[in-house]
Amino acid sequence: MNLRAGWALIGTTWTMRLQTRGLFFIEALSWMVAPLAFLFVWVTAAGSGTVGGFSRGEFVAYYLLLIVIAQVTNVQHEWTVGDAIASGDLNRLLLRPMAPVLDVLAQDVAAVTVTLLFAFPVGAVLALLLRPELHPTPSDVILFFPALTLAWALRFCWSYALASLAFWTSRAGGLFSLHAALLFLLAGQVAPVALLPKPLRAVAILLPFRYMLGFPVEVLSGHLDATGIARGLAWQLGWLIVCLALARLLWRLGVRRYTAWGG
Amino acid sequence: MRYVRLVAALFRAAAQQQLADRADFAFGLLQSILNLGAGIIGLAVLFGQVRTLRGWDFPATLALLGTYLLLRALYGLAIGPSLDGLAGVRGDVYTGRFDFTLLRPVNVQFLSSAERWHPLALLDAALGAAVLVVATGQLGRALDAARLATFLVALMAGAALLYALALACATLVFWLPGLFFTWLFDIVFELARFPAQLYPPWTRLVLTSIIPIAVITTVPAQALTGTLHVTSLAGAVALAGAALVAATMLFRRGLRRYASASS
Repeated sequence: MNLRAGWALIGTTWTMRLQTRGLFFIEALSWMVAPLAFLFVWVTAAGSGTVGGFSRGEFVAYYLLLIVIAQVTNVQHEWTVGDAIASGDLNRLLLRPMAPVLDVLAQDVAAVTVTLLFAFPVGAVLALLLRPELHPTPSDVILFFPALTLAWALRFCWSYALASLAFWTSRAGGLFSLHAALLFLLAGQVAPVALLPKPLRAVAILLPFRYMLGFPVEVLSGHLDATGIARGLAWQLGWLIVCLALARLLWRLGVRRYTAWGG
Repeated sequence: MRYVRLVAALFRAAAQQQLADRADFAFGLLQSILNLGAGIIGLAVLFGQVRTLRGWDFPATLALLGTYLLLRALYGLAIGPSLDGLAGVRGDVYTGRFDFTLLRPVNVQFLSSAERWHPLALLDAALGAAVLVVATGQLGRALDAARLATFLVALMAGAALLYALALACATLVFWLPGLFFTWLFDIVFELARFPAQLYPPWTRLVLTSIIPIAVITTVPAQALTGTLHVTSLAGAVALAGAALVAATMLFRRGLRRYASASS
């Protein structure tokens, strides 16, 4: 893959996104409101004491990190790529002398940079107003970066696998809604995973959703010890391998049976 | 009478169109149930950590969630889709199709607010009502006629205020096209999921006096739990009335600015 083509792809999406900035920022805001509501409620619950080991400032830090990281790892292929497959737009991508996944990747990189233009200032203003308390150790900061990268990669592959279902059916919407609901409940948006009731926490630790969003936040906000972080990274890596294999398999089988007119 | 027949005809047309596909119906039902489940589990997680929060316990907050779901469903039945069709992306004002609304021999504000129906929202309304019934049963006090009457008055005031705010947001399209205030309103209305008292002081101030979204759900829920003061009820009713008048005036001024989009 040459670098100039890569930049061109990213640039195309940039121009497109910046033209519809109103829409784009509203989309970014809509991802922010639910965690923001829970941030406010937990802050009220903590008051001047602590709830489940979290103080007021720690809740603020946790949720502000979550809001920014949710925007970084926000991948919606099940809708975008899924639509392209269902509508036949994929023809255009398949004809190019490169793998379609590179185009998707370029779109995501471009989208993230534009969203961050919005998420960082909002996060900064909220941080000034709400005074977060963040005291990670140096090792937390170092381990945060692999955790974040793995979270993003996992979400990417998982989302790509869901998108590939569009090769077989246009009725997978129910599955996507289930995915969204589980991401809301188990990825640390309703509450940090450590505060979930026991059965729910056990499920959250087993399933991949925590590792797409909540886990890197937990690492950087300093709520995990060394074994917790090591175990989390291992789960992340395991789920990433599973989802990568699944996405590749579904995509290959799907493209083989794909037929469409026009494009 | 003419307006009742008009609503019936519009509703029937929308129902015939949207309920033709049974899979869509099943998908709508699944999505409603997931949304409801996520909301209830979210509250259960919160009240698993704290018993009461600023006077709100689990059943009372559940009653508020029921009120929120019911009002949101009623809003989504006609007002939401109609106002979005007026002011949303490629809405009537943008495309110039609003000309046809103006030409019809009915009240323009009525037709703008009730032209498009979404019958599936009745499912959400039923689920919201069910949550209300269950929550009322858990409150631990028999529901007497006086409390029920207060609740119904408060609910109607809430619905009127919701309509007024949504109409005012949609009307802004006449001054600022390209900024999607109807979406923005939908997003910010999420914050009415929780009682106003659960928000930090300055957020509460914004949500009760500047954009009085929290009033819409908090007052009816307080009426149901019996913690509502008479002056609060009178205040909510007065606020709803004033907002309706103000929104209607704004809409009329907006109409005068409409210059059609055709050449």
